[in-house]
Amino acid sequence: MAVPGASLVPILLLGLGTCLAASPSPKGVECILFNEEYMTCTWGSGQTLTANYSLYYWYENKLPVVECQQYLWDRSVRIGCRFEQSEIIQFQAFYVRVNASCNGQTLEIPSNRMELQNLVKPEAPVNLTIHNMSGNQLQLTWSSPYPKEQCLEHVVKYKSNKDTSWTNQEVKGVIFSFPSVDYEKYYTFYVRSKINNYCGNTQLWSEWSVPVFWGNNSTSKGSSGPERPRSPRRPRSVLTVSPRLVAGVAEEQLQWFWIHTVLIPIASCLLLLVLVVLLVRMERVWVIIMPRIPNPSKNFDDLFITHNGDFQVRWLPWLTTPLSWWQLPTPLTPLCPSRNGSESLKMLWRVSSPTTVKASAT
Amino acid sequence: MTAGPPPLPATPPPRTMSHAFFRSIFRVLPLLLVLSPVNSSSCTMGNKTTEIRVKYENILSHDIEELVNMSAEYRDRCCKNKRHEHNKVFFCNDTQEIGSLQSMACNMLRFFNKQKINKEFRRKAALVSCGTLQVLQCKCERHKKEKVCTQVNAPNNEDTETVEQPKKKCNQEFCELKENISSLRSCWNKFEKIISRDGINRNG
Repeated sequence: MAVPGASLVPILLLGLGTCLAASPSPKGVECILFNEEYMTCTWGSGQTLTANYSLYYWYENKLPVVECQQYLWDRSVRIGCRFEQSEIIQFQAFYVRVNASCNGQTLEIPSNRMELQNLVKPEAPVNLTIHNMSGNQLQLTWSSPYPKEQCLEHVVKYKSNKDTSWTNQEVKGVIFSFPSVDYEKYYTFYVRSKINNYCGNTQLWSEWSVPVFWGNNSTSKGSSGPERPRSPRRPRSVLTVSPRLVAGVAEEQLQWFWIHTVLIPIASCLLLLVLVVLLVRMERVWVIIMPRIPNPSKNFDDLFITHNGDFQVRWLPWLTTPLSWWQLPTPLTPLCPSRNGSESLKMLWRVSSPTTVKASAT
Repeated sequence: MTAGPPPLPATPPPRTMSHAFFRSIFRVLPLLLVLSPVNSSSCTMGNKTTEIRVKYENILSHDIEELVNMSAEYRDRCCKNKRHEHNKVFFCNDTQEIGSLQSMACNMLRFFNKQKINKEFRRKAALVSCGTLQVLQCKCERHKKEKVCTQVNAPNNEDTETVEQPKKKCNQEFCELKENISSLRSCWNKFEKIISRDGINRNG
C-alpha cells in the first residue's frame, strides 16, 4: 500500500474534510526512550487533534507489524503510545506508522527510520554531594539512575550569589573539582547528563538535577526562589556543618580587619600627636633635642651696652675686683700683629698676672 | 533336484564397509571446508575488551565522528529513495558484534578504489576500516586489508585524478558507502555499550 509523503498531507486533509483538519503536529511522530525503561511516541495534543488515531510499529528484521498496546490519551483523543521495556530493541531500525481515521476515511502518516539508541533520555543525576578539600577546593560528586555510567557525559552548572550568569562545565566522570572557592559567597550547583558519542548519537539531555548549595548564606536572602527547592533529598549533613565553620572563620577575620586597618593607625596618630605636644611644651626636652648655640653675651652686658665694646680704655679699668686669668671671658689667643700689636700683647700679659690690673695707654 | 542359491553372508565383508566409511567422510569433508570460513572468526582480540574500549574511545571514535560528519556534508538526495535497493545490508548481530564489525570494515575497503566517490571521503572511510580491523585484530577473507591499508597509511603525495560526481545520475556507490558508515558506527555503539560496566548506583 503506497504511503503518501509528508508534502501530500495537506492536500489529503482538504479532501477528507474538517474532521481531519486538525492534523498531527508538523514535527510528526516524536519518540523518546526514558532511561531505557520505557518509551513514548507522541504525535500531538488533545487541543489540536480530533480524529481517531492508531499506531503501528515494526523493526527492520522482525515482522510482523504490531499495533500499540498502550495508548496515551488527552481529552478523549489518542495522542501517543507507550512502549514497555520488552517491546524496545535498540540498534535495529525502528519504523512507526500512524493511521488517522475519520468518517470511514483513513490517512496513513509514516515516520522516518529511527534507531532507538539515539533517542535515549537518561534520568537526572541524584545524590549531589559536596566535599571540602584542601587548599580552598571543593569536590562535587553525584550518581546516575542510568545503568551504564560509562556511556554518560555530564554538564555542571553553577554560580554564586554575586555572579550574574551561570557557568557551564562539561565533565566526563561523576566528579567535578571546583578549584578556588570564596568563603564569603553562596554557591548553587546543578548537574545533567546525556548519552555520550561512544554509546550513541543523541542530543537529548536529562532534566537538571535537584540543586546543592554551599557557602555563607547570610547575605543571599531572596537570591533565586526556584533554585532552592525544599526537597527531602537535600544533603543536610553538609549544610549543617559548613555554615558554622564558615561563620566562625568570618568573625575572626573581621576582628583582624578592624585591628589592622582602624585601631593601629589611630593609635599611631595619637601617639605621634602626644609626642609633638610634649616636644613643643617641655623646654627641657626641646633643649635636649635641639641644643642651643652658646651665647656668652650676658657676661658682657656692661662692655657692649655701657662701654660700646671698648675693651681696653673703658671696660678694664672699670673692673674693681682682681680677676684670675681663668675668669677672663675670652681665651688667651695670640692677636694678630698690628702697629700696636706688641703693646696689646704686653697689655694682655699684665692682665693675666694675679696683681692688680692697671691699664696703660697704648 | 535343483540346488538353491548360496545363502548370503550375515555381514558384508570389511572391504565394502571401509569404502562406505571413506565415501561418507569424503562427502562431509568438502562441506566442512566450505562452511568453516562462515563460522570461524579471524579476529584475535575477542576477550580483551578493556584494551579494545581504550583504543576505541581514545582514537577510533574520533575518526568515526569525522567520517560521519563528512558523510552528512556530502548529501545526496537520491540516497533516501534508494536506501533499500541493491544495497548490501549488514546487521550488527547479537553476541557477534566483533564479527559484524569485521564484515562491515572489510566491505568498506572495496570503496577505496571507486573513482566516482570523493577521494578524501573514501580515503577517510578506508582509514576507519583499517582502524577497526587493527583494533579488533581482524583479517579480511580476500586479504585486501594489507594492500589497501598500506596505501591509506602512506603519505598522500600522489595527486590522482578526482572525478566529480555526475549531476544527473544517482551515485549508488556513494549511497552504499553512507549506509555502511552508519551501520559501522551503530555497531560500535552497541559493542561499547555491551562492554561498558554497569553504574554503581542504578536506582539512586
